[in-house]
Amino acid sequence: MNPFEKIFNYQLLSRLEDRGACLISSHERAWLKSMLNHPAASEAFLPGTLAKLQSILQDEAEMHWESHLIHKAASREVMVYHPLIRQLRRAIQGGYALTISFTLKNGETRVEHHAFPYKLEYSMVKREWYLLWLSRNKRKVMSTRLNKISAVKRHAEPLSPELAAARASEAEAGLAAAAVYAEIAVIPAYNGELSRILYAFSCFERDVRYDAEKDEYIIKLNYSQNETEFVLSRLRFLGKRVRVVTGDRLIQRMRQTAAWALARYEASTTEASPDG
Amino acid sequence: MAQESFDKEIQFLRMLALTGSAYNRQQYAQRLGISIHTFDKMMKRLKTIAGTTGPRNSRSAEGGRDMTEMVRYSYLDSSDPLLLFLFRAKSLKDSESERLSILIAAMGENSLTAMELLDAASESMPAELPLPDEKTIRGDLKYLESVGAIIKEPGPRPYRYRLWRGFAEALDYDELLDLYDFTDMMANTQLPSIQGYLLRDNLGRLLQGAGADGALLYKYHYYSRILDEAHLFNVFRAIEKRRRVSFLYFSPKRDISYTSQNTNPLYEKEAAVKRQTVLPLKVVYDHQYGRWYLLAWCGKQGIKKFRLEGVTGLQEEDAVSPAFMEEKLQLLELRIRDSWLLDTGRKVLVRAKFFKPGPGIPDFVKERVQHQGGWGVITEESIEDFIYEIEVNGILEIKPWLRSFGSSCEVLEPGQLRDELIQEWKELADYYESF
Repeated sequence: MNPFEKIFNYQLLSRLEDRGACLISSHERAWLKSMLNHPAASEAFLPGTLAKLQSILQDEAEMHWESHLIHKAASREVMVYHPLIRQLRRAIQGGYALTISFTLKNGETRVEHHAFPYKLEYSMVKREWYLLWLSRNKRKVMSTRLNKISAVKRHAEPLSPELAAARASEAEAGLAAAAVYAEIAVIPAYNGELSRILYAFSCFERDVRYDAEKDEYIIKLNYSQNETEFVLSRLRFLGKRVRVVTGDRLIQRMRQTAAWALARYEASTTEASPDG
Repeated sequence: MAQESFDKEIQFLRMLALTGSAYNRQQYAQRLGISIHTFDKMMKRLKTIAGTTGPRNSRSAEGGRDMTEMVRYSYLDSSDPLLLFLFRAKSLKDSESERLSILIAAMGENSLTAMELLDAASESMPAELPLPDEKTIRGDLKYLESVGAIIKEPGPRPYRYRLWRGFAEALDYDELLDLYDFTDMMANTQLPSIQGYLLRDNLGRLLQGAGADGALLYKYHYYSRILDEAHLFNVFRAIEKRRRVSFLYFSPKRDISYTSQNTNPLYEKEAAVKRQTVLPLKVVYDHQYGRWYLLAWCGKQGIKKFRLEGVTGLQEEDAVSPAFMEEKLQLLELRIRDSWLLDTGRKVLVRAKFFKPGPGIPDFVKERVQHQGGWGVITEESIEDFIYEIEVNGILEIKPWLRSFGSSCEVLEPGQLRDELIQEWKELADYYESF
């Protein structure tokens, strides 16, 4: 299976588009056939659809890559699909508002909240689906785990296209308002590990500056305020390889963490030592 | 047919995706081991492709943007994988792409014979392009059938061919939308993904853009990983056929990641990377960094690890016996069974105490340990803390994960790991002391 086939060529693709034709190769169908073995398939399709797909694909070859591929340091896969997705994605697509009931992080419940659904978001770290939505009162983008949503009711009529577009831009503005940035320097002694360090930050929006004279790389990281904890865990993960140079909150937290961690070790070392 | 190699483009796009605008043309060319002239040519070609196929609903699709802008990761635009266009880069003559598109469109409407298709192509070919002959059409049909794009209908000669339209024929709009979403989710969350992204694009076309509204987003996604899938299928095929492979390896620690294969004496010196031949056994995907590794048997050197991104000029070589392959596979599995990532070193017991966040706060520490802690187990637990134990090959690879918990984790055993972490926290405290 060569991923660089002629049929995937960009000129051919745009010419097919002009002619209103669409070509699906056996490569893609074999991939799909193998993916249908995943437990998520039985949730993602209605039984009739799944049966149709299995019948359409019955003569396709299956790809047997699992036996050659090992996953390491993966998070447990909590879910790939969630039963609410079908309903929620259609509400997003059609510009419908919702009434939702859900549980907050601290265990409190919220009943029948008016919500404008903006996007569905899957966290590759938590391996779970979230709904990003706008509440009528607060004009703030909320993020709720689908697992914590107990009831969803779609309003009978969709919002007008203008209103739906306005809500979507409000949500976008809300997200933009929560954006912060920090600058992280790669300690030049670790430039040999640059590729690893850059990979570790490649899941963020960022810019990289290179100072040829000092042979130093500075990564400017853009993230949302509510992602601070995740950024911090990445920084601690990389340890001495990087240093925050701009971003008071991160700097203060890193200093505090180092002090607290050392205090923990010191306390238990003292405890264990017979001399007190 | 010789396979067109995209090694240079892959290395460049990866560099661009990781470092953004950090380097100038000269620095890029130098790191790629190619001349500025070659670099400019490659850039021009990639821009054309990205401009033609680039993300449909993206701000970066506006014309005239430079490559850095095009490849820059923007979360809200991330529903279309930016680097997928690389897989659309296979070169094709104008006449060929025109002819194929005419044939495919014609077979989408009716089942046709080779001669009818020849007529259709001769009629619709633009005047400036050469007219096809029967042999060419038969060659096209053979190729399209081999990639499953068309089907030869049962029946007597002359054979009739039609486009494969299984999804469009059998599924209604709602079902297609479910299929689009499923494909999107699997391409984003499972491996490998290229064929999934290509399929998703095509399903989006069947839905006439209605599915591709970017309603589903994937956070903390290592989007540049799809570049490494370029070699993946060749490696898989070699493993299946028990064949050795040879390649030029550029360790990510080197300053250059590619060298031109030409004979320009200016670059001869840098081309002194030796071709090595190995028996591929397994491919490993490291979820912590989103990186791919090739584990291979290298004769006297035993099992070696290669970053897949450093592999260029991959070629299949001779085959080994099933018994030999099986023996090496078993050896490998034994060695890396207890590796956090790839360490094949001595097994050690790591014991760590994790501190809970405190009364009334959801226990995110324990949740994360259970979620990411692999085969390790929680052996003791109190209101304030719990003990986690894991037997793992070496301490090097698990250390970053333990450190990422900050002061919520105290390593108890082994002493060496504990001492190293104390030392590292001291140094980190020094980093931030002056602020």
